[in-house]
Amino acid sequence: MFMPSGEPRPHYRRVFSRLATMEPSEFDERCKLADLSFLLQGITFTVYSDARGVERLFPFDLVPRIIPRSEWDRVERGLAQRVVALNLFLQDVYGPQRILRDGTIPRSLVLSCKHFHREVAGVELPRGIHVHIAGIDLVRDSKSGDYVVLEDNVRTPSGVSYVLENRLVMTRTLPLVFQQHEVLPVDHYPIELLQILRVLAPRGGDRPTIALLTPGIHNSAFFEHSFLAQQMGIELVEGRDLVVDADVVYMKTIHGLRRVDVIYRRIDDDFLDPLTFRPDSLLGVPGLVNAYRARNVALVNAVGNGVADDKAVYAYVPKFIKYYLGEEPILRNVETWLCDDPSQLAYVLEHLPELVVKPVAESGGYGILMGPSADRATLDQFRERLRDDPRNYIAQPVVPLSRVPCWAPDAGCLAGRHVDLRPYCLYDGDRVTIVPGGLTRVALREGSMVVNSSQGGGSKDTWVLAGDE
Amino acid sequence: MLSRIAESLFWIARYMERAEDTARILDVNYYMLLEGAGQPYRVRWEPLVIITGQHERFFAQYAEPDPRAVFEFLGFSEHNPDSIVECIANARENARAIRDRISRDMWEELNALYLELRRAQVDAMLSSGPHDFCTMVKAGCARFAGVTAATFPRDEGWQFLTGGQAIERAGMTARIVDVQYHSLLEGLPAGVEPDNHQWMAVLKSVAAYEFYRRTFHSRIDPQRVAELLILHPQHPRSVRFSIGRLQQALHAISGAPPETYRNEAERLTGRLYDGLKYDRIEDLFARGLHTCMTDVQRTCRAIGDLIARTYFYQEVTA
Repeated sequence: MFMPSGEPRPHYRRVFSRLATMEPSEFDERCKLADLSFLLQGITFTVYSDARGVERLFPFDLVPRIIPRSEWDRVERGLAQRVVALNLFLQDVYGPQRILRDGTIPRSLVLSCKHFHREVAGVELPRGIHVHIAGIDLVRDSKSGDYVVLEDNVRTPSGVSYVLENRLVMTRTLPLVFQQHEVLPVDHYPIELLQILRVLAPRGGDRPTIALLTPGIHNSAFFEHSFLAQQMGIELVEGRDLVVDADVVYMKTIHGLRRVDVIYRRIDDDFLDPLTFRPDSLLGVPGLVNAYRARNVALVNAVGNGVADDKAVYAYVPKFIKYYLGEEPILRNVETWLCDDPSQLAYVLEHLPELVVKPVAESGGYGILMGPSADRATLDQFRERLRDDPRNYIAQPVVPLSRVPCWAPDAGCLAGRHVDLRPYCLYDGDRVTIVPGGLTRVALREGSMVVNSSQGGGSKDTWVLAGDE
Repeated sequence: MLSRIAESLFWIARYMERAEDTARILDVNYYMLLEGAGQPYRVRWEPLVIITGQHERFFAQYAEPDPRAVFEFLGFSEHNPDSIVECIANARENARAIRDRISRDMWEELNALYLELRRAQVDAMLSSGPHDFCTMVKAGCARFAGVTAATFPRDEGWQFLTGGQAIERAGMTARIVDVQYHSLLEGLPAGVEPDNHQWMAVLKSVAAYEFYRRTFHSRIDPQRVAELLILHPQHPRSVRFSIGRLQQALHAISGAPPETYRNEAERLTGRLYDGLKYDRIEDLFARGLHTCMTDVQRTCRAIGDLIARTYFYQEVTA
C-alpha cells in the first residue's frame, strides 16, 4: 500500500484517504456488521477437528486489496497461457504421450504421480477440455513486485463463492469507499461457468440436465456447492441421488429416474466411483466412470487432472509452455528442487532450515515443513522422510509474500499482513475467461505466512481497477 | 424434483410444526399447572410428557415430572429428539442441505431462530419459566411460515411442505385430545363439573380458544371441545381440516383426480378423511374416543411411511 517514501501507492490513495476519515470505533462497527451478515447467511466452513463439525466464519477483512489494471492485465495473460498449456499437457499425457516419448519430462515422474489414472487414458472428451476450471495460486514477491505461481489447482479448486459473497458484503458495508472507484465486476462467474457446462452435454439440445455433485452437507465447502448450484439454477445432488444403468447416469426424482447429461463434480477422483477408484467411498456413484468413458455424461473437471497438480510436475510447467505453445512463460514459477534427483536431494538436506518442503500430491497446506520456523526434532523427522520417500517431496525457497493493509481489531489500526491470490480461470476450449481479481487470502496473525483457512487465515475483497488509479 | 429434496422439504415442515406445537402446549399448560391445586406432580405434569410421545425417554432422565424437568425436556433436552431445540436444529440441517432450493429469506429466518436458541442461556430460561422462550419459538416459526408463504413457488415442493405440516398437525391434535380427555375426566365423580380452566388450556394449546367462544357461546363443554378439535371443517388445527389439506397435497403431487387414488398413501388418507367428514362426535364417543384417536395417530404414521416409500425411496427401475 505504501511506497518506500511513506506515501500511499497511487492506486490505494483514495481508499486510504477515505479510511483516514473514519473513527476506529466506526470501522470496528462496520467489521462486526460484515461478520453478522456472513453468520446470518450461514456462510461458514466446517472444521473437522471437532467431533460435531463446528461451523466457523471465514474471517473477513474489510480493507480491499487493490490491483491496478496494468498489473492485472499481465497476470491475466500469464494465467491464460498457463491454463492452455496445462490442458495440452493433460491431453497429451492421457493421449499420444508425445512429451514423455521425447523425454522433455521424465516418463517415470509422470507415471508415478499418485493422481495419474490409467483408467481414463484414451477417453475422448467433449472439445478436448480437461481443465474447465482452474484456481492458480499466486503470490507477489515483495522484493521484485512480480507475481509468481505457487501452485496449480486443476482438480476441484474451491473458494470462488467467497469472491462473490465478499464483494456483496463489501458493497453493503462500505458503499462510499466502493463508489469512489471504478472496480471491475465479478458476478458474471456463474453464468460463464454455466455456459461451459451447457455446451458439454453429450446429447446436445438446449435443455440438458446439469447437476453439481457434492459430498454433502458435512463437507467444508458445502456452502459453496449450494451457492453455485443456486446461482446457476442447476440441481445440487449427492452420490446417493444418482444411479447408473447401462452406462447412463440418472437422478432419482419423485416421479422416477431422469437422465443427467453434465456433472460439475466437487468430489475428488478417489471418491468418485467405488467400482473404479476407492471401493470404500460412500460419496460417489458406482458406475459413473464407465458412463463417462462411454461418453454418456460429461464430468467437470475431467478425471485424472491431479497429475498436472503434482508438485514435481509443477516444476516442468514453464517447459510445457515452451514445448506446447512455443512461447516464453509470462508468469514465473518458484524455484523448485525435486528430491527425487539425488544431487538436488543432497542440496535440500543440507539447506533444510531455509526451505519449505511440500508433499507432491497434497492440497490445502497439509504436510508442509516451514524450515525457518521448525524445531530440530521436526527437521530431523523430515530428513528421515525425505530419505525414505524422496519422490513424494519437493522443496522451495521461502517466498517473501507481499503484505497489504488489514484491520487489526486488537490494535484498532491498519497493519500489514501477508497475502496470496487465487484467481479463477474458466476454459471452454477456445478462450480462457478470468474473473478480475480472485480470492485474496490473508494470514491474519502478525508476521505469519500461512493463509490457509484451516490454519486461521481469512480473506478480503479483491478489486481490479478499470484504470491504474 | 429430486426425491431427497422432497423428503427434506417434508421434514422441514414437520419439524417446524412439531417445534411450534410443543411450544404452544408447554406455554399454556405450564402456567395452568402451576396454579393447579394440591395434586402431586406426577398427576398434573405427566400428561404433558405423554403428549409428546417420549414418555420412556423422560423417565430414563428424570425421577419426577416437576415443572423444571418438563420444561427442560420439552424445550432443550438433547435426550429428547422432539425437544424444541432439537426440532429447530433438525429443520435447519435439512434446510442447509437444500439451501439452493429455498429462498434466502427462508434460510435466514430459520437460521436466525436457530442461532437465537443456541445463544439462549438455558439456566436463566429455566429459572424464568418458559413463556419468553415459547414466545420466541412461536414468533420464529411464524416468521418462517410467513416468508415461506410469500416466497416459495407453488410447485411440488410446496405440496410436500404443506403435506408435512398437515400430517404433523393432525397427529399432534389427535394426541392432545386423547391425552387431555383421558387425564381431565378420569376419576371425576359423577356430577362433578370438569375444571373449566383446564379445558381452556386445552383449547389454547391449539390456538382455538377464541374460536370456541365465538362458535358455541356457551361454557366450556368437554365434548364440544373434542368436536371442535377433531371434526371442525374450518379450524386450521382440527384433525379433519389437516387431513383434508394432506389429501389435497397428495393429489396435487400425483395428479389423481378428486375421489380417486393413485397410491396407498392417498387411499388411506381418503379413507381417514371420509370418516372425519361424515362422523358425528357422538359416533366417536360411542366407539371410544381413545380408540378413535389412537387410530388417527396410527393411520398418520402409516401414511407417512407410504409417502416415503412412494416418493423418497422408491425402487429404482431404469
